[in-house]
Amino acid sequence: MGKPLIHRSPMPGLGLSMGVTLTMLSLVVLLPIGALLWKGASFGVGNIWDTINRERVWAALFLSFRLSLFAALFNLVFGVMLAWVLVRYRFPGRRILDAAVDLPFALPTAVAGIALTALYAPNGAFGSIAKELGAKIAYTQWGIFIALIFVGLPFVTRTVQPVVEEIEREVEEASATLGASRGHTIRWVILPMLAPAALTGFALSLARAVGEYGSVIFIAGNIPLKTEIAPLLIVIQLEEFNYDAAAAIGIAMLLISFAMLLVINLIQVFSRRRIGYV
Amino acid sequence: MHIEIDEISKQFGITAALHPVSLAIPSAALVALLGPSGSGKTTLLRILGGLEFPTSGRVLFDGQDATALTVQERRAGFVFQSYALFRHMTVFDNIAYGLTARPRANRPPRAEIARRVTKLLDLIQLPAVGTRFPSQLSGGQRQRVALARALAIEPRMLLLDEPFGALDAKVRKELRQGLRDIHDETGLTTIFVTHDQDEAMELADLVVVMSMGRIEQIGKPADIRARPASAFVRDFISA
Amino acid sequence: MSDARLIPFRPATEETPTTRLVLIGLAIGGLGLLVFGPLLIVFAEALAQGWGAAIAALSNPDAASAMRLTLIIAAIAVPLNAAFGIAAAWFITKFDFRGKAFLITLIDLPFSVSPVVAGLCIILMFGSNSLLGGWLVASGYPIVFALPGIILATMFVTFPFVARELIPVMIEQGRAEEEAALTLGASGWRVFATVTLPNIRWALLYGVLLSNARAMGEFGAVAVVSGKIRGQTATMPITIEMLYNEYLSVAAFSLAAVLTLLALLTLLLKTALELRHADQLAAARRP
Repeated sequence: MGKPLIHRSPMPGLGLSMGVTLTMLSLVVLLPIGALLWKGASFGVGNIWDTINRERVWAALFLSFRLSLFAALFNLVFGVMLAWVLVRYRFPGRRILDAAVDLPFALPTAVAGIALTALYAPNGAFGSIAKELGAKIAYTQWGIFIALIFVGLPFVTRTVQPVVEEIEREVEEASATLGASRGHTIRWVILPMLAPAALTGFALSLARAVGEYGSVIFIAGNIPLKTEIAPLLIVIQLEEFNYDAAAAIGIAMLLISFAMLLVINLIQVFSRRRIGYV
Repeated sequence: MHIEIDEISKQFGITAALHPVSLAIPSAALVALLGPSGSGKTTLLRILGGLEFPTSGRVLFDGQDATALTVQERRAGFVFQSYALFRHMTVFDNIAYGLTARPRANRPPRAEIARRVTKLLDLIQLPAVGTRFPSQLSGGQRQRVALARALAIEPRMLLLDEPFGALDAKVRKELRQGLRDIHDETGLTTIFVTHDQDEAMELADLVVVMSMGRIEQIGKPADIRARPASAFVRDFISA
Repeated sequence: MSDARLIPFRPATEETPTTRLVLIGLAIGGLGLLVFGPLLIVFAEALAQGWGAAIAALSNPDAASAMRLTLIIAAIAVPLNAAFGIAAAWFITKFDFRGKAFLITLIDLPFSVSPVVAGLCIILMFGSNSLLGGWLVASGYPIVFALPGIILATMFVTFPFVARELIPVMIEQGRAEEEAALTLGASGWRVFATVTLPNIRWALLYGVLLSNARAMGEFGAVAVVSGKIRGQTATMPITIEMLYNEYLSVAAFSLAAVLTLLALLTLLLKTALELRHADQLAAARRP
């Protein structure tokens, strides 16, 4: 006798809530994703590989992944620092800073895209300063890097902040009474405690950046092999009604996303098992 | 080590946690700071450990002014009420922490650290828990690990904040004797904070009764029991 | 060394004043470059030729139609997702069944799918060259390059918001109150309306707020399915792109400023909710 699929319960609304949940989930999410996979299956693995295995596609996938990784690494460091500053320090404007961290979630990506471009273009407020220094930001990989930092900015801060709030002061004091300098305490006691949350935020930030489109295309310049991101390739294929090729690249990106989702979950399971907390 | 507290006071904002108090603690004594919550006993302990800074007054270790010494410089073995073990480190790494945290120049070699940690694990009678994490230990085991961690730095004194506070009655009795044994074996000047008068009377050589930021009485347990210096002391020890 | 008061004391849990200053400076500087800068430039560019030009740009028929479309989309997609979020949270927290963790993962799936891929999925499912889409177009109900496709794309990208917020809150609150109401003879709907809903209303509002902000601002998924027909399927973000690509900077940024004000309002309400009703929101403030 196995476990029942659904335990009997006196709670009302089983049929309705299950029906609405499964119907909408299927209609909005599962069937469309299924359509992509179906398209891929009928196109064939060989054809998918031939589509992806072209210089321009590899360049775009590699660019998207590499810059997303750099942006997520930047956000990992900056996000942990920001979480620390927002929780531990009291200074005028702290609340505004705290609220501002969420702006990338609330601001439409197209708005962020044109705003960042206006700011970092060679004739923009920050871009002109960079130009003086002999650097070009917008329409180069630096521009994409900045846009990807922007969209991933809140993830690390928001996952790490509650953990910083919960650090017991006594643990830090214990480290000091044992002779450790403040720097040693931060490196060997505090950062290891923040690591699982920070890694989760890092992975979320990475996943978001790899798929990002709206905030990047304005600032990217979109030059094939140089500043062309993977999602843009899908859009280009669709504009040419080349659905098979679009599906092939879409499947490649979907697989990358799933792999990252798996990694996020593994990190959480690992840290929960080993240390007994996340 | 002989400890002298000279007219120490502590203000938190407008509230006085400690009115000027003075106290001399002889070398190798086992002293209890006894009092209800809010009596200033933990504040006094934290000032000795360098975790709080007095508003006025001095602390002397063996006659030397130690008031300005940082926490790190004091070398006070401090056991926290919550134990404050590092939960991402094994028991071994927890105990070794004070040694590995030293600057490279005076850090003992790895083998020496391992030898000392093993010795301390034997001392607290938990020879086999080195590879475990704190979350895998019982409350009483955690308390002993915290004690071993504090002893690893070869402290000049041992300071314990409610060391038995988080334990159930049976374990508490066992560990009292454990602390007594460790004190006798190491000969360290040991000060512990407690609100439990039984614990203070049974364990300490010298009991300091505190209330409202003041010292009400200092004496041997028998003397305090026989001749309470104030109505407060009489009420508190008979409770 | 004798007078205690003259010696600066730093608690063991604090960094040196210099370190603090540097870290606070880096935080303000970083957010200035990444967040406050873009925020200010939107309004500066919108008003580059004065208020008149900005207002004229917003009263242009295409801009007006874009705003209307965006409102319609949000008005349909957000309530539908709220209904889904409530149903899913009820199903997941009030019943025990096998595969619950898997179901939650499926609900979270849209967070890890690129918006462009989401749009692509909807085209492949409902586009005119798919089986279902071909039939729908033939019957006179086109999905892609029309309003239903945009709504579906919007729902896809905002799908998990409400459920994500409600599930932890409802797990924490348990089932005891609902069970008590049932024993007192209340009907299912009555239990939900008088017991559950009051307990989750702030969390629900929080989820709806986030979901609405994303719905009104979604670009990638909508760009793929909309067809970008001016005055018909061009939402506000799509219109911003078209204007920007035509070098109509003031017009693009004026429309962007409207969306930015909306984003700021969302943040304000969100912060107010977090301050007032922190205890009734999901413990982890995960996006």
